[in-house]
This record gives sequence, structure tokens and C-alpha cells, in this order.
Amino acid sequence: MGLNPRRRRPEGSTVLTVALAVLIAGPLIGLPISFIVAPGDFGKFSNFLPEAFAATGILMVGVGMGTLLLGTSLAALVSFCDFPGRSWIEWVLVLPLAMPGYVFTLFALGLDLPNIRSAGGAVVIFTLVLYPYVYLLARSAFLSQSRTLMEAARGLGLSRGAAIVRVGLPLARPAILGGVALALMETLADFGTVNLLGVRTFTDAIYRVWFNAFDREAAMQFATILMSITLLLLLLERLARGRARYHYNASRGDVIPPIRLRGPAAVAAVVLPLLLVGVVLAAPVAQLSVWAVQSIQNHLLAPEFATEARNSLLLSAMSAVLVPLVALALAYGVRTSRSRTAGGAARLATIGYGLPGSVVAVAVIVPLAWLDHRLGDAAGALFGVDLGLIFTGTVIGLFCAYLVRFLALAWGAVESSLARIPAQLDEAARGLGADRIDVIARVHVPLMRTGLITATLLVFTEVMKELPATLLLRPLDGDTLAVGVWQATTESLFQTAALPALLIVLVGLVPVALMIRLSGRRGTELEVAGSWTEAEREAVTA
Amino acid sequence: MSRKRLITLVAVGTAVLVAGFVGVVVATSGSSAGRLVVYTARSHYGEEQPFKDFAKTTDTKLTLFGGEASELYERIRSEGDKTRADLLITVDAANLWRATKAGLLEPVNDPEILKNVPADVRDPGNNWFGLTTRARTIMRSTKRVSPTAATTYEDLGDPRWRDKLCLRSGTSDYNVSFVADRIAKDGGASTEAMLRRWMANDPKIFGSDTDVLDAIKDGECDVGLTNSYYLGRELHADPSFPVAPVWADQNGRGTHVNLSGLGVVKGTKHRAKAIKLIRYLTEPAQQRLFARNNFEFAADANVQAAKEIAQFGSFKRDPIDVRGAGEHLDDALQLMQKVGWD
Repeated sequence: MGLNPRRRRPEGSTVLTVALAVLIAGPLIGLPISFIVAPGDFGKFSNFLPEAFAATGILMVGVGMGTLLLGTSLAALVSFCDFPGRSWIEWVLVLPLAMPGYVFTLFALGLDLPNIRSAGGAVVIFTLVLYPYVYLLARSAFLSQSRTLMEAARGLGLSRGAAIVRVGLPLARPAILGGVALALMETLADFGTVNLLGVRTFTDAIYRVWFNAFDREAAMQFATILMSITLLLLLLERLARGRARYHYNASRGDVIPPIRLRGPAAVAAVVLPLLLVGVVLAAPVAQLSVWAVQSIQNHLLAPEFATEARNSLLLSAMSAVLVPLVALALAYGVRTSRSRTAGGAARLATIGYGLPGSVVAVAVIVPLAWLDHRLGDAAGALFGVDLGLIFTGTVIGLFCAYLVRFLALAWGAVESSLARIPAQLDEAARGLGADRIDVIARVHVPLMRTGLITATLLVFTEVMKELPATLLLRPLDGDTLAVGVWQATTESLFQTAALPALLIVLVGLVPVALMIRLSGRRGTELEVAGSWTEAEREAVTA
Repeated sequence: MSRKRLITLVAVGTAVLVAGFVGVVVATSGSSAGRLVVYTARSHYGEEQPFKDFAKTTDTKLTLFGGEASELYERIRSEGDKTRADLLITVDAANLWRATKAGLLEPVNDPEILKNVPADVRDPGNNWFGLTTRARTIMRSTKRVSPTAATTYEDLGDPRWRDKLCLRSGTSDYNVSFVADRIAKDGGASTEAMLRRWMANDPKIFGSDTDVLDAIKDGECDVGLTNSYYLGRELHADPSFPVAPVWADQNGRGTHVNLSGLGVVKGTKHRAKAIKLIRYLTEPAQQRLFARNNFEFAADANVQAAKEIAQFGSFKRDPIDVRGAGEHLDDALQLMQKVGWD
């Protein structure tokens, strides 16, 4: 292009981007230091490891298989078949995204479902609440497949069913694996569900080493191992995908004609998905509503309920602004710097996604506590003022954790929408006399709107649901609805837990509903749905 | 979007953001002068009358910060001399012992408190004081199990309870304290043998004592191990609840008893107020409220238990050995992991 000759000196934007990224990823990069600080601690608890590996392994295999089968078959059903009500059933199937695992667990425990407190129970619960990831990605992959390929397969003598299995499924493989990776990531990161069900996974081991044995260094060492597993999983997913990106984007009107289901098959195609969503979403919501009403009538509502609701709202709203802003800053840094270092650094900043909140919490609290004490001592010595604990004693520490944990979500949405704006467009605008601010105001903002909305919504709901980091880092008056649900559920006070749980689910439904609404009817561009799952997927495969 | 609108938006946005941020930080920090901050593991028992009454009668602003005792202990430890906590309340003695040993509590030599709290439920160095005591004992189905079928903790390992024994999760502070206490008094080998016999019965594991009691009611199991006040709650809601306690080891050392207690956090700026709260909570009138509302036993054994629990008669208590149990907490954790008490 010649307009931006490479400079020897690192550009300011590169330096700033790298600095910001390292600041965010720093706590996680620092985790392995615990092996140097306290090399002996690891051995003390190494007998926790076999069980942690086994339980985590069972969960990964079970949830992987479960979401793969359930998500893919549902996606195939709505993509390749036609049946009464398909156009809304395909969206109803997305709704379980709003159900956090620990809320479903509260419902299951409250009803005293048999054998729920086991690895098998956890696999079932995770599969039920996480299949939409696979479903959404598989579905959009199926829908973008071209009719000519399928017709070629039919021409070579395959039946319609065989063509789907032998051509449709393999073509969608990258998308399906991406969805499974997302589901597994959520499973690894979970704390509430496995703790309530007594499944001794890695997250649980970290918690026990930290809070039953009070060995923070050993907890950090365990966290390092878990982080390595997560990164390994990402690497495997990338390798499995290879460089393959099968995108045969069908132009409109060229979609595969669906198989029309009749009779019992059509009835089953309607009833089974509805039954599934009924179990995952409708039944818990109904039961929680009953308990919520009882809790109000019997004065069983937690006294902190109003504060919790306020805090959940405030923390989610603030994070929903702050986190996308940081993502935006990083994305612009990468865009203007045009150096590979900046891009790499930005990806480094997003590794917190897919890590359990408790790992992020332990990683964040150590440097912040250290900083707090140095700062406080210095302020006391120099000015004689008592600063208190600025980071760990207020929500600032919590915001730091949310930033580390959820930046990837906002980054995925913001970066992909910014990347879609070609640099030539900026230059064209500049050529027409616009300055930088004009370019942002009149070119970037309109084009990035969807990405920004997606980022905001994603972060809002994730923070609303977040439990482990909030539990460990919340300030004195900082209890949230998730914390309220957790505290009541651990004491089997299901009625007390119901109303906050219900609110979390209902708030979570808002972005899902918005996504569906913005996506419009079948056949139209799945813009928001696409950018949502793409954002999460970008986050994972970064 | 026009250029002007963007600039206005950014300016207004930044102002709102900064104001909002400061607002959120202040609103959630619990910072207001003169506030008494209590880190309490009793929070999940719900709102307790004595605390509410204290705040009202003495016109004190109370912040009750809830959590597991172990999380609260770790928090105070991490906050160090900059902690905002004035008092620490736990639901087990081990965490108080741990806090004392780590130098997180400061002694209080107040004659009134010493009069209220008997010597066997307080720290010899007066770093902490028992608020209530609780028995962790055998629970049996009144429909299927005779009162003499299981009378000792050892008996829960009898093969007759195979698939019929319900326990709470091994991560529960109550269970860890119980095991630590056994190790201190009976030794590791004997405790391990007992736990292995329990585990051989393939116990069903639940997340809370309430779930264990419900499982006995529903016939999922016949016997279990819980704190007695959870049964008190069930019986209060439903007097015909078909479960009764068996006061364990009456021919031996007595039934395992633990305590919920509190101490003043070292470096508190509200020491006088904190002492006032301890005095208030250990007064006989408030002690009766704890016993009546949460079905626990008062720190002072002379205070009458709630009728839901008192109906099962008095019993011999295994003397609390806080130090012994405290020192064996790590061993207990390791042992429970080893025998597979999930």
C-alpha cells in the first residue's frame, strides 16, 4: 500500500496494546511462579490429583459425547427436515442457554431427583444446559451448506439420509467441534454445579486445597495445571480443525430443500424438542416460581435480597460497559499498529476465558493484595491516611477478575466486527476530507453496532451468572444474586434460593430473546446469532 | 452518527461511567464510619433475631458479611492488618482455633462475658467465646430403626447399614471437625478403621444435613449423621417428621459436640462496640433465642433447649477438645480423601 511504511521503532500503539494485554494476562502468566515460591507444597496434595483427573476426565468425555449427539442431531433435524412449527421450534431450542448449570442443579436437588449427586448426574446436567452451543454452531454450518454439493452426492447414488451423514456432517465438522470445545470449556470452568453435586473435579480440588487446607500456593499450582489442560484443549481443537474452513456459502434460494416429515415422525420432531426445553427450562422456571412465591409468603426471602439484586444489576451493567471498552481499545490498538506482536498480545489477553472463576480469582487476588498492602503502607507512612484495601476491599478487584475472565467474549464480538471494515474504507473516507473522529463516527460506529451490542449483552449475562470469582472477591456489601443462590442452596434452603435464581434465569433470557428477534425469520442472515456464537468461538480458538 | 454526536456521546458517556464506577465502588464497599463489621459463618441460618435486636436497641450499624468459616478465615488472613472485620463468627471450633493460632484474634477479658460463657466452651486465652453448642449425632428413621439398633459412631459401620447409611459431603466443616476430633482422641489408625467400615457400607452422600434427614424420611436410607438442630427445624415445620436422634456413645465418651463461637479481630477500631455485641449475644435472654429459633444448645448448658430437641432428653457430651481437633484438621482432610468420603 505504501501509505504506512514499516518503521524500525516500535509504534506507540503497539507498545500501548502490548502493555494493556500483558497487564490483563499478567496474573495468569504469573500462576506458575507458585512452583518456584513454594516448590514443596505441590507434593503435599498430590494425592488429590488422581481423583481430580479421573472426575474431570469422566465429565469431559460424557459432556463431549452428550452435547455432540444432542446438539448435532437437533441441528440436523431443524436444518434438513421440515415439520409443523419448525420455524419457532428451532429458536425455542436456543433458550436453555439462559439456564446456568448451578440453577438447574438447585432445581434437581430441590426435587430430590434420584442419583443426581454423582458424576453421571453432572454429565446429564451439563449436557442439558450446554448443548445449545453445539446446536447453534452446527445449525448455521448446515444452513450455509450448498445445494450443489448435496445434489452431487445424490447424483453419485447416495440416498438423502446418506448424503446428510456422509457429506453434510463432515462439512460441518469444524463448527461442531468448535461447539463441543465451547461446551467443554464451560464444564471445566464450572464450580457451582460440581461442588453442589459433590463431584471432585479439578475446580473442586483447587477450592479444597485453598479453603480447607489454606495452602494458597498449592491452589495456584493446581490452577496452573488446570490452565494447561484448558490451553491443551484449545490446541487440540485447532489441530483437529486444521486449516480447514469449509465455507461454501449458499446464496439465497440455493439452500438444501428440507425433507418433509409426516405422521409419527413429524409428531416426534415437534414433541421431543419441546419436551427437552420443557425439562431444561420450563420445568425449573415453574418450580422456582412456586418456591419463590412460597418464600415470600413464608418470609423465607434472604434479608440481603434487595442488596443482592441491586449489586447484580450494577456489577453486570458496569462490566458490560467496561469490558467491551477495553476490548475496543485493544482492537483499535491492533488495527492501527499493524504489527503481529500487537495481535499476538491481544490474543494473550483473552486466555482468561475458559478458565474457572476460582482460578482467575486466585490469580488476581495475589498481586492485588500485595499491591493493596504496599499502597496502604505507603499512604500511611507518607500522608498518614488510611486507604483501606483499595483493590481487594472494593469491587475494583472484582472488575479486574471479570475483565480477565470475560474479555475474550467482548473481544470476539468487537474485533470481528472491526475486522470486517476494510482499511481502504477508512482511507476512502479520509480521502473525502474526513478526519479520524469522522471516520469513527460515520464509518465505524454504524458498522460495529451489532458487534458492540453483542459484546455488551454477553458480558452482562455472564457477569450476572458468575459465581466463584464473585464469591471469593466480593466486597463487604457486594453480595450478588448468584452468591445468594449459592449460600441458600448449600444449606438446602431451596425456597430462599428460588427468587434470586429465577431472576438470573429471566435476565439471561433477555439477550437470548433479543438475539432470536434480531435474527428474524428462517432464511435471513443470522447476524446476531452468528456474531454471538462466533464471538464465543473466537474467544475459544483465539 | 455525526461527529458532534460522537463527541457529546463520548464526553457524557465518560462522565456517567466515572460517576457510576465511583458510585458502585462506594455503594458495595460497606464503608461508613462507626459500622461494626462481622464476618459470620452463621449467615446461612438466615436473619437471626439477636443481631437485629442489638442493632436496634444500641443504634449500631451492623454489617454481617456471610460465607463459609474457612473462606472468612482466609479473607481475614489475606487482608491482614487492613481488614475491616471487627468480629469473626464461625460455626465450628476448629476455625476459631486456627484463627487464634494465626494471631488473627485479640483476647477480651471482660468479666461479664466470662460470667456468661462457661469455661469449657471458651478459649483459655480468652481469644474466643462459644455462642452455641451443637451435637453431631446419629439420626434414625423412627419407622424402620429401633432406638437401640445403632448407639455408637462405630455402629454406623455395621454391615447391616449397607446402602442404608446417609452422610453429608466430606467437604463439610462439620464432618472435617468431627473426624479431626476422633483422630485427636482415638488416634489416626482407629479413626481410619472406623471410616473405612462406614465407607464399606457405600453411604449415600448429600450436600447438606437437611438433605440427609429428608433422605431418611423418604426411605432412601435408615440412618445418618447430622447436627441435631437441623432435625429441630424439620420437627418445627412438621412435628410428625419420622426421624429421631440417637445420642451416640453414651456408654463411652459421650456424643460429639462442636460449637459456634466468636472472637474480636485483632486491630479492630471498634473494640468497645465489639465487646458490647459479645456481651449481648451471650446474655441468657439472647441465648434462649438462639436455642429457641435455631434449635441449638446455648453455650451455657443450663439454658433450656427448644422443645423440639429437649423432648429427646439430656445426654452425656464428649468434652470439646478444640486444640486437639484444630491440630488434626489437615490429617482429617487427608484421611477423608484417602478413605473416599466424597
